[in-house]
Amino acid sequence: MLTDRHREQLLGYTMIAPVAIFLAALVAYPFLSAIYLSLTEKIVGYPAHFVGLRNYANLLDSGRFRIVAWNSAVFTVASIAVKLVIGMAMALALHQVVRGNQFIRGILLLPWIIPTVVIALTWKWLLDLFRGLVNVTLIDVGVVKSGVHWLGDPSLAMLSVVMANIWRGFPFFGVSFLAALQTVPQELYDAADVDGAGSWQKFWRITLPSIKSVVAVVTLLSTIVTLNDFNIVFIMTRGGPGAATHIFATYSYELGIMSQRWGVAMAASMASLPLVALLIVGVVRYLHREEE
Amino acid sequence: MSTLTRLTPLAVLLIVVVALVAPDPGPTAAAGKLSLWRLKTYIPPADKILDANAQECAKKAGMELAIQTYTFDDMWTKYTAAIESKTLPDIAELDAVGPARLANLGRLSDMSDVVGGVTKELGPILANAEGAVKFGGKYYAVPHYGIPLVLFYRKDILEKIGAEPPDTWEAIQQISQKVKQAGIHDFPNGFPWNRTGDGYDPAMSLLWSYGAAWVDKSGKFTGIPKGPAVQALKVVTSAYLVDKTAAFDYLSWSGSTNNESFMAGKITFTPNGPSILFQEESNKHPLQKDTAIKLMPKGPAGRNLALTFVMNWGVPVDGKQQKEAKAVVGCIMSRTQWMKYMTGSFQQAVPLFARPLDDPYWNTPNGKTIVETVKLGHPVGWPGPTTPAAAEVVSSNVLTDMITQVIVDKVTPEAAVDEANKRIKEIYDRLPVK
Repeated sequence: MLTDRHREQLLGYTMIAPVAIFLAALVAYPFLSAIYLSLTEKIVGYPAHFVGLRNYANLLDSGRFRIVAWNSAVFTVASIAVKLVIGMAMALALHQVVRGNQFIRGILLLPWIIPTVVIALTWKWLLDLFRGLVNVTLIDVGVVKSGVHWLGDPSLAMLSVVMANIWRGFPFFGVSFLAALQTVPQELYDAADVDGAGSWQKFWRITLPSIKSVVAVVTLLSTIVTLNDFNIVFIMTRGGPGAATHIFATYSYELGIMSQRWGVAMAASMASLPLVALLIVGVVRYLHREEE
Repeated sequence: MSTLTRLTPLAVLLIVVVALVAPDPGPTAAAGKLSLWRLKTYIPPADKILDANAQECAKKAGMELAIQTYTFDDMWTKYTAAIESKTLPDIAELDAVGPARLANLGRLSDMSDVVGGVTKELGPILANAEGAVKFGGKYYAVPHYGIPLVLFYRKDILEKIGAEPPDTWEAIQQISQKVKQAGIHDFPNGFPWNRTGDGYDPAMSLLWSYGAAWVDKSGKFTGIPKGPAVQALKVVTSAYLVDKTAAFDYLSWSGSTNNESFMAGKITFTPNGPSILFQEESNKHPLQKDTAIKLMPKGPAGRNLALTFVMNWGVPVDGKQQKEAKAVVGCIMSRTQWMKYMTGSFQQAVPLFARPLDDPYWNTPNGKTIVETVKLGHPVGWPGPTTPAAAEVVSSNVLTDMITQVIVDKVTPEAAVDEANKRIKEIYDRLPVK
């Protein structure tokens, strides 16, 4: 005979079972399967053979993978840093706007709701050497004599894909920060005004500490998404010129789909996992500390 | 009144309604369903003809046909998923390396009987197309057509600077310099060396024309001969590094950007399939009269062109209606159907069987160049047959990476060849030639 407590526990488990099954099927299984595949020599169409950490060792030994890892780091850090700054500026500005706030917010959200493929193709066209709007404008106003090699020069190509990524992603930062700003009590600012605090001091001492949890979570989420980005780089440069913009996702695609080497492709895409895991642990611990 | 009695009129009414609403199966109802995957080309009218032909053939075989398409960009994404999930279509149009890959996995049916039937109508398979479909004495696919890569050039510009159309890689560099010096184009040389067919196909033609193939006649790895390869690399990379007749942006071009740049009048040369001719013709483009094509260049070892864009019909073993699928392929490749498709393809679909090559349809200046390109072309993995390893050399961009390493990373041509050899050896060690 079940006691009330046991019955309650059973009911609790029953209630969370659908979600648990759903998560196991759609998150845990693919994730664990990817980890397993990364430890195998798996060629498309053939059975997988366990090889332990050999794929990872080979990748670490590969000069090409080191370039890819460096490119991924540059792409992610540069994108996130600028998105953070622009997103914050957008939120602070919108927070002050009283009339037309909703309309402006809607307009600024556009880059975030447009499909990434469209964004990448648009940027590719904008930066085209011959017919791109950017080069045509620069030439017409006399800034340059001939078109800038936005997608051909290795460093400018990285800058270009970062620009496209920033344009797509900054509204997410801005809107999230704006929502957080609206929860900061006005009394704090009024008190700071009485104490004679300037705008900068109010930002550092009141605004930022009040919304830092949101900043941490948004930055973490965006870092994960940016680190795994594929569309922008693949459409704009295909990882080129040479390997100048090759990142984890495009490299994994090249290995897994074009070369049919799933094992090593999985290892390449898993390579950023420790970093992401560290970030997640760090942010979660920080948030717990804040709550306590 | 019993329940049964009450329900009887309702049951009768239901039967009548179902009989009236249900679709009429018709006198030629399909006995089954077939799926067909094909390439979506840059010539939509040709695609339409192919679809109509395929549907007609399926009808003859008493089958319903569902057609799906892919582009060169997403072909292997689609096939990779299907290989793993064992859901390959009943009829698969495969690229130049597809038959080798799938036959090696044991996933393609023997098509020798179909090939036998087709050769009776269209003549023998071209020897250079055979290497991509025949393994161990059996045909695993039926060659469909080749899309030859030719050299597009602006004849008005060449006339203006008094240059003959280039016949060698060096001549392209020299003429490009003249065009630049004349102030006509800043970057006339539109050879992209990127991760598309417009990059890797010319990369093979370049290396082979300098005698720098990486395998022997049996398809076994021998290594890229360093001397000829370095010579070839120096010639083409000088356009980017020394003469500055090619723009770094070309290295990031997509498969269609060179078409667009050529038609925008921004470049003098570019390698491409005949689709530019179709686009100029259908848009009555102002540059049509100034556009000309020529065979891709030759080198010290001859004109060894790559025949990379070759499509082939395979029947995967996954399908349950192999006989019908083969019948449909045989019908699509019958003389009547083939001629309809070929003559509606704007000279994009070049036959890989001997007889239609002599058709008057090709008897135009462009047609002759296009046919000649296919006749001279070599399969991926030349001078050996197409093997999974050769396929991977192409798909993993080793050859174009070798060239761009010199241009972008500023490594020496010697070091770039060494790196490429290391990567190719690793591929052949992993995928030994059987």
